[in-house]
Amino acid sequence: MDFDFTSLFAFILFGLTIGVVYGIVALGISLIYSGLDIVHFAHGEIYMFGAFFGLVFSEHMGVPYPLAILSAMVCTGLLGIVIERVFYRRLTRAGGGYTVAGMGMIICGFGMSVVLQNIAYLSWGADAEPFPVDLGEPFQFGDISLPKSYGLTAVIALLLMAVLHFFLKKTKIGLAVRAVAANKDIAFLMGINVPLMISLIFGLACALAAAAGVLIGPMQSVQVEMGYLMLMKAFAAAVVGGFGSLPGAIVGGLLVGIFENLGAAYISPNHKDIYAFLLLILVLMVRPSGLFGVEVRVKA
Amino acid sequence: MTTTTKGITALLAAGLVTGLAATALAGEIRIGVTMRMVSENGQKYGQMVVDEFDMINKAGGINGHTLDVTLLNDECKSDKGVANANKLIFQEKIHLLVGSTCSSVSLPIVDVTAKTKVPQIIPHSTNEKITQKGSAWVFRVPVSGRYYAGVNAKYVGENIGKKIAYLCAADAASQNDCEAMQAQMKSQFGAEAAYVAQVQEKEVDFRTHMQKIKSAGVDGIMIAALAETMARALVQSYEAGIPASVNRIGSSSASNSPVPAIAGDAAKGVFFTAAYAAADDRPIARLFNEMVRQRYGIHAPDHDFSQAYDLVRIVEIALGNADLKLDSANLAADRTAIRDAIANVKGYQGLASGPISFCAEATPQCRDGNRTAVLIAYTKGGKDYVTEVLARVTMPVDFGLK
Repeated sequence: MDFDFTSLFAFILFGLTIGVVYGIVALGISLIYSGLDIVHFAHGEIYMFGAFFGLVFSEHMGVPYPLAILSAMVCTGLLGIVIERVFYRRLTRAGGGYTVAGMGMIICGFGMSVVLQNIAYLSWGADAEPFPVDLGEPFQFGDISLPKSYGLTAVIALLLMAVLHFFLKKTKIGLAVRAVAANKDIAFLMGINVPLMISLIFGLACALAAAAGVLIGPMQSVQVEMGYLMLMKAFAAAVVGGFGSLPGAIVGGLLVGIFENLGAAYISPNHKDIYAFLLLILVLMVRPSGLFGVEVRVKA
Repeated sequence: MTTTTKGITALLAAGLVTGLAATALAGEIRIGVTMRMVSENGQKYGQMVVDEFDMINKAGGINGHTLDVTLLNDECKSDKGVANANKLIFQEKIHLLVGSTCSSVSLPIVDVTAKTKVPQIIPHSTNEKITQKGSAWVFRVPVSGRYYAGVNAKYVGENIGKKIAYLCAADAASQNDCEAMQAQMKSQFGAEAAYVAQVQEKEVDFRTHMQKIKSAGVDGIMIAALAETMARALVQSYEAGIPASVNRIGSSSASNSPVPAIAGDAAKGVFFTAAYAAADDRPIARLFNEMVRQRYGIHAPDHDFSQAYDLVRIVEIALGNADLKLDSANLAADRTAIRDAIANVKGYQGLASGPISFCAEATPQCRDGNRTAVLIAYTKGGKDYVTEVLARVTMPVDFGLK
C-alpha cells in the first residue's frame, strides 16, 4: 500500500478509539492488582456482563444510552462486590501475589470466568445480540469516516479516567483506597476499614469493565464469548503500561490499539491480534516492569 | 448365605442385567449425532434432527426397528467433536454417525470414522477437503465449497467486476471458501485478489482493513467468516464509508439468520451461495418453512435446517434398504451395510435445490452428493429479513477438482 498521511492519520485514529476501550478494561485489571495483589482472570466475563446489562437497560427497558452506561456500571459494580465478598474474600485474606492463596486466586478467577459465562449463557442464550444506538451521521475527516459511537467512546473513557483520578487523588475515600493498595496492614492500623476498601476497589474495577462493555456494544454485537479477546488485549495493555500502574494501563491500551492497527496497515493485515503481543514482548525485553511500572514486588 | 452362594447370585444377577441390556439394544439402530449447538439456531436444528428420527419411530420405525438417537454438542470445537465421535463409536456402539456442523470438526472426525469403519453422513460442513481424504465411510449432504466458489466466482466476474477484496476468518470453512473463491476468480477470469486479510474469529475491529479496501477502489468485498464476525464486518464496511455500490459477497454462512439480524441494514444487498433459500416457492419448501416456523419459532429457516431435514430423509431411505442384523456380533457388517445403502441413494429430491446422489467410490465425485448451489441475496436486513433467489446452478461433478 502506498504511504499517505491521511491513511496514517486514519489508522492512528482507529487505534486510539479502540485503544481507550482496552485501556478502560486494563485500568480495572490494574486497579484490582494494585489493591488486592491478584490477577483477575474473570475480568473479561465482567466486561461481558456489563455489556449485557447495558443492552437490557438500553434495548429492553428503553433507558437512554448514557443512563444505560451508568446503570450497567452500578449493577456490574455491585455484582463485582458480591463476587469479591462471597468468593474471593477468604483467599485474599490469606494473602495474594506469590503465596499459595495467590495461586488459588488465579485458579478461582478461571473458575469464576467459566461460571459467569454459563450464567450469561443461561440468562441470555448463546446468540449474539445487536446493540443498535443511533448517534447520527459519522464524523468526516476528509476521506475518513468515524462513527460517532467511537468519538463518544473516547470522550466517555477520558471522562471516566478523569473522575477516577479525581476520586483517588482528591477524596478521602480515594486516599484510603490508595493506602490499602500500598499496604493493607498499615492502612488497617491507621483505622481504615480495609475489607470495605477492597470491596470498593473491586466494585470500581468491575464498573469500569462494564463501561467498556456498553461502549463497545454498538460497535459490535453483544455475546457470551466476547470477553476472552478483550481480556487478552487488556492484559497486554496492562503489562505494556506496567502492571498495577493506573496511568500505565491507559497508555498501554492506547499503544496496543495504535500498534495493532499500524501493524495491520503497514506490516501485514493478517491476524492483527498478534501485534498486541508483539508489542508486549518488545516492551518486556526493554523494560520488564512495563513502561510505567515500578520494580516487581515479591509478596510472600 | 455362604460366600459361594453370594458369588453365584451376583453372577446370575450380572448375567440377567447384561442379558436384559443386550435384549434392549438388539433390534435398535443406534445413531450418534454431533453438532454445533451453541446458538439458538444450532440447538433448534439439533432438536429437529432428534424430532424427525422420533417421528420415524412413532410411525413404526424402519423395517420394524426403532432408532436410538444420541445427540451430543461439539460446540464447533474439533477436540470435542473427536471426543464425541469416539464416545459414540466405542461406548454407544453406534451404527451411523451424523455430524458435524463445522468443517473444522468434521475434518478430523473423517479420520476417526475411516479408521473405525463407521459410516459418517455430514449435514453442514462445506470444506472440500472432507471428501478429498479418500475415506470410503464419509458422505456429504451439503454443497461442497468447490461448487459454491465456482457459482460465486462466475456471478461476480460476469456481473460485479474482477477487483475483489477478501476478508477471511480463521475457521476451516471460511478459509476454504476464501481460497476456493480466489482460485476460481483466477482460473475463470485471470483476476488476482485486490486485497486479502486473514482475521481472527471474534475479531472486533475491521476498520483498518476497511480503510485499505476503500483506498484500493474494489468492485466487491468477499467476507468469509462465521455469522457474528461477518455481521460485524458488514456493519463496519459501511461505517468506513465504503458505498453500497461496492458489492458485499458472503461465504455460505451468510445464510445463517444472525447475519441479517445483527448486521441490520448492512445486510441488504449481500449475496451468497447456499443449498436452500427460504424464498423457495416450491410446495415442499413452503410446507417445510411453515413446519419450522410453527415447531421451532424460526422466521425463515436457512440451509442448516433444510440440510438437516434432507439428511434425515436420506438416512431413512438408506436404512430402509439396508439388510441389518442388529446384534453385537454383526455390528461391523451392519455398519458396512448402512454405508453401502447410503452409497446407493440416487436422485433424492428433497429441500435441496437439486437432486442428491451418492455412489460407492471413495472420491469427491461420489461423496459430494449435492451439486446445486442457490445464489441468494438479502433484500431486507434485520430480524424479519427477506431474501430473493438470484439463480440456481448445478455444477459438473468434477468441478473444482485438480
